[in-house]
Amino acid sequence: MTAVAWLIPLLPLLGFIINGLGFPKLNKKVAAIIGCGSVLASFAIVCSLFLQSLQTPLNHRIDLYTWIAAGNYTVSFALLIDNLSVIMMMIVTGVGFLIHVYSIGYMKEDEGFGKFFAYLNLFIFFMLLLVMGASFVIMFIGWEGVGLCSYLLIGFWWKNREYSAAANKAFIMNRIGDLGFILAIFMMFAVFGSSDFDKVFPAASAFTTNDSIIIAITLLLFVGAIGKSAQLPLFTWLPDAMAGPTPVSALIHAATMVTAGVYMVARSNILYSIAPVTLAVITVLGTITALFAALIALTQNDIKKVLAYSTVSQLGFMFVALGTSSFDAGIFHVMTHAFFKALLFLGAGSVIHAMSGEQNIRHMGGLKKALPITSFTFLIGTLAISGIPPFAGFFSKDAILTASYFNSTIIFLLLILTSVLTAAYMFRLYFMVFWGDFRGTHHQEEHLHESPQSITIPLIVLALFAAIGGFFGLPEIFGNHNWIHHYLSPVFSQNTRIMAHADSVMIEWLLVAFSLVVIVPVMWLAYQRYALKTVKVTLSEEQLPFWYKLSLHKFYVDELYDYGIVKPLSALAGLFSVAVEKKMIDGTVNGLGSITLFLSSQLRKIQTGNTGFYVFAMVAGMVLMLLFALAKLNVF
Amino acid sequence: MIFMEVSSAAANTTVANYLPIVIQFIFAAGFVGTTMVATHLLGPKLQTKKKLQAFESGIKSVGNARQPFAVKYFLTAILFVLFDVEVIFLYPWAVNFMELGWQGVITMGLFMGLLLAGFVYIVKSGALDWE
Amino acid sequence: MMVLIILTAAGILAMFASVFNGRSVVLPVSLSGLFAAGYFALLEWNTNTTYFEAMRMDNFAIAFTVVCLFAAFVFLLLYHYMHYSSDVHYAEVISIILFSLAGVVVMVSFTSMLMLFLGIEILSLSLYILAGLKKKDLLSNEASLKYLLMGAFATGFLLFGIAMLYGATGSFMLSDIAYYLGLHKAVAEPFIVTGIIMLMIGLLFKVAAAPFHFWTPDVYQGAPTLVTGYMATVGKVAAFAALVRVFQLGFSPALETYQFLFAAVAVTTMFIGNITALYQKSVKRMLAYSSISHAGYMLIALMAANEVTNGAVLFYSIAYTLASLLAFAVVAILQQKSGSDEVSVFNGLSKSSPLMSITFAVAMLSLAGIPPTAGFFAKFYVFSAAISDGWVWITVLAIINSFISVYYYFAPVIASYMKKGNEEGIVLATPVKVLLAIIALLTLLIGLLPGSLSYLI
Repeated sequence: MTAVAWLIPLLPLLGFIINGLGFPKLNKKVAAIIGCGSVLASFAIVCSLFLQSLQTPLNHRIDLYTWIAAGNYTVSFALLIDNLSVIMMMIVTGVGFLIHVYSIGYMKEDEGFGKFFAYLNLFIFFMLLLVMGASFVIMFIGWEGVGLCSYLLIGFWWKNREYSAAANKAFIMNRIGDLGFILAIFMMFAVFGSSDFDKVFPAASAFTTNDSIIIAITLLLFVGAIGKSAQLPLFTWLPDAMAGPTPVSALIHAATMVTAGVYMVARSNILYSIAPVTLAVITVLGTITALFAALIALTQNDIKKVLAYSTVSQLGFMFVALGTSSFDAGIFHVMTHAFFKALLFLGAGSVIHAMSGEQNIRHMGGLKKALPITSFTFLIGTLAISGIPPFAGFFSKDAILTASYFNSTIIFLLLILTSVLTAAYMFRLYFMVFWGDFRGTHHQEEHLHESPQSITIPLIVLALFAAIGGFFGLPEIFGNHNWIHHYLSPVFSQNTRIMAHADSVMIEWLLVAFSLVVIVPVMWLAYQRYALKTVKVTLSEEQLPFWYKLSLHKFYVDELYDYGIVKPLSALAGLFSVAVEKKMIDGTVNGLGSITLFLSSQLRKIQTGNTGFYVFAMVAGMVLMLLFALAKLNVF
Repeated sequence: MIFMEVSSAAANTTVANYLPIVIQFIFAAGFVGTTMVATHLLGPKLQTKKKLQAFESGIKSVGNARQPFAVKYFLTAILFVLFDVEVIFLYPWAVNFMELGWQGVITMGLFMGLLLAGFVYIVKSGALDWE
Repeated sequence: MMVLIILTAAGILAMFASVFNGRSVVLPVSLSGLFAAGYFALLEWNTNTTYFEAMRMDNFAIAFTVVCLFAAFVFLLLYHYMHYSSDVHYAEVISIILFSLAGVVVMVSFTSMLMLFLGIEILSLSLYILAGLKKKDLLSNEASLKYLLMGAFATGFLLFGIAMLYGATGSFMLSDIAYYLGLHKAVAEPFIVTGIIMLMIGLLFKVAAAPFHFWTPDVYQGAPTLVTGYMATVGKVAAFAALVRVFQLGFSPALETYQFLFAAVAVTTMFIGNITALYQKSVKRMLAYSSISHAGYMLIALMAANEVTNGAVLFYSIAYTLASLLAFAVVAILQQKSGSDEVSVFNGLSKSSPLMSITFAVAMLSLAGIPPTAGFFAKFYVFSAAISDGWVWITVLAIINSFISVYYYFAPVIASYMKKGNEEGIVLATPVKVLLAIIALLTLLIGLLPGSLSYLI
């Protein structure tokens, strides 16, 4: 099957071209069939690759094309099929397909239907390129491409100025990260002469542990990951990115694109294992992000914002896994997170759909009667993310917590705290939306309805995976061998500098007990507070306690950036624009420009139209050339 | 391969060796210069208003010089020259007739065939129609 | 050889079709002629077939032949759809194009300088006629006459150069000349230096490099727009191929005699072309200056004269040809419709014809050398050819020039997207639409996947 693996990214690209060129003319049904069909076909090929990889681990490089050949540097357009990329492809095409199907129902009223599917397909193409690329350059192309698609899709409803502003914010913050990535690639070219995985990794293995060059490269790569995966301090774009249509939030800002940073670090695990310093930085930053975002999520009132902060928090968990060198746990959490977070977002979309566009959870309540399927699947998602056994989130989070326990007790405790907070904000959300009394307008109440099948079927499928997905990575104590650990070991066992974890039977039982002992009371508390009591529709700011306000206003990070960076920069820019730019730079640039234009107006005049002059110029040119040549050749 | 006798490169890199080139240029420029000066000196100069007028059979010139005029004479003349020149190629062939043999006949037949094709084209496109 | 025979025969057939009332067969005959020629050219890939010790169909020759055949194919189709009913000389124009292609094939495959002369003359004579197609238009007449006069003068230089080289080396064959130059280290011999410079001037005239470019703006503007496109693509590419061939195959042992001359001419050409283009209001004249500046960029690759030169020139030729074809096609269509070639005719083009405005934008991006178009990698390869031999200063100057060029390339693009104009839709024949789209896609495709083209030859 590896022979046709190049079809996997190509099919969505074809879908993009057809839908992109024909969107004003194609009718919606055709656009939907092309959009979903291309991803489904890719998924089918990926599945067969997956089955193949179950028997023998894959490690197959496909050289498609020599992309750039200049002197000694060649960049070939090569794809890498190994177990890691296959599992990522499974997530991208599988979850991607479900979200495509969901979009048929969600976007059916939108006039930009075909355009939307074209963008989604383009996104899938770039995302596949990102996970399939056999070199950092190809990965970077995918990386930039998904950033572009994210920009296009966040600003899909561009007529709203705020939405375009959100798109711009996402784009700019990602650019900051990308700068780090591209610098890392330059460094790789300088140090290793290539950016191909199969050249860089073996060459890097020769370096000593904590070699400063490797630390620099890994830190720069991680800066790229910070931007893309919305970690501190570049996380504020992700909540704003919720301006995009909900399927976009589910696909790009929950299941796939934001996990690209995790994939990138996991892919370069050999580099990172040589740089424990970087790993420590990743662990600390991941922990802080996880806790910080969870605290903010506690008080948010926009259904999608809560989920967005929860995504940031879960991404923090994944980075802790990477930082503590349990790369397989990180990828495992990417997978389960893709299931339950896509499920939650799609459920939220279904709710928003039913509420005629309302996103404020204080205006919802009691929706479980009108939306039984959505409510039930949302509950499964909530249980999964809160880490209740035996749902998917428990096992992956458990693996991360175990890894952190052996790394540092403080990190472990902070993550435990974050898990409790996760359960708290998720159940707050669940109970506020689906239990209690309806708090919206009369008009909204009349319109409440369960969503069509194209929306509910993806929900059910994802709920199934969110429920059982954890069994892919069952810990050793439950008798079974940890499947995902073994599946990914061909990729992650190449680095020999990571200590094997001690057996963790005790800690795992402890975690099971903990989930039941601590998280269940948290659920009960949330039930008491948000399902039984009446929830206030509006909050008056003055009465709120200080901590609540701090969380509600997202720790004033946006304001901090505004006052700390944006405002001073604009002030400085203002100063510069007057003092430096107007006088010096403008003067110089305009001067240069006007000199060029003046030259142009003068040079134009020698074009007289007089043939005699033209001949004269030729002869003069000849004489000059002859004299020049004779002078150069030292004839005189 | 026939190469002309040349002395070593080192001897060729002085200005003196460029003398033939310089002479050539002087000749070229000199010829043009001499002709122009000579015509000015030799030609009678009588620059009255009438002398500077375009000569149109004694009739006063009127209007723009860019007027359509019958090109038929010109066309016929140029076509004659064209075919006349092409026919010249028959002479060298005739001189070497025996040496070139059948190959020559075939080549020449092809050449004449193409020439004839051109002639047919001219006739058919009406270049020789007088009216 | 087959290529030459096919092209000539197709030309003759097209010519006869017009006098025997067969206008409708002209296009099929000429197109099948082009395809057959292309096929027979490609058959000789990797064979290095030599004909009469005067021509050799090596990969260089075949690649350039195919590029020119493609450009001619586009030109023929455009001409057909724009002038089939309006031009009484329709069939003659097409047959002249086919004849000129025979000249092109000779120009890119010669091994003897006599054939170089022959090829150049076949192409040039055809172009003189084509420039004067609009018999009632004074500008067109002027263009034709000027081109003929200046061309004759340049041919004089060329022949003088060939004669001198023959005098010095005793042969017309490029290989003999190279052997002689290598043997005698004759880099400063009077007849060699003068001969090379003369021949260089004759060819620099054809590629429109400064200071031998003065004919270009006048001729390009006076000639019918499609013909200008043909001259700017096929004419220039073939002349450039000839220049590269004669210098790479024949004169490379005497590199130090001419390398710095090429450097000087390249810099002058780029600056004169780009700076003068800034002031032009006519898009056609702007494109004429732009084509001058592109000759400058290509000369940089030739000047570097290393193992990547041929590949870089070929890549540049392809990128330049595709973009110029698009640009001239759009200008020609707009000119036919509105009668003007000022920048203002582009106002509101994005509304009246989205396809034309987007393809034109692609063409301009490519000419300005902005990724992800073919033009970016064209410049990239040319510059890397220069850099790898340490020519940093000339690369810096070339990059400054690329920046200048963005200014004038974007003027019509901005006009078509930002300014309001006549929004009445422009109707194009379907094949023309398809053609424009395909060329634009090719430009992007080559920009995305430049690899295999760069070491084709």
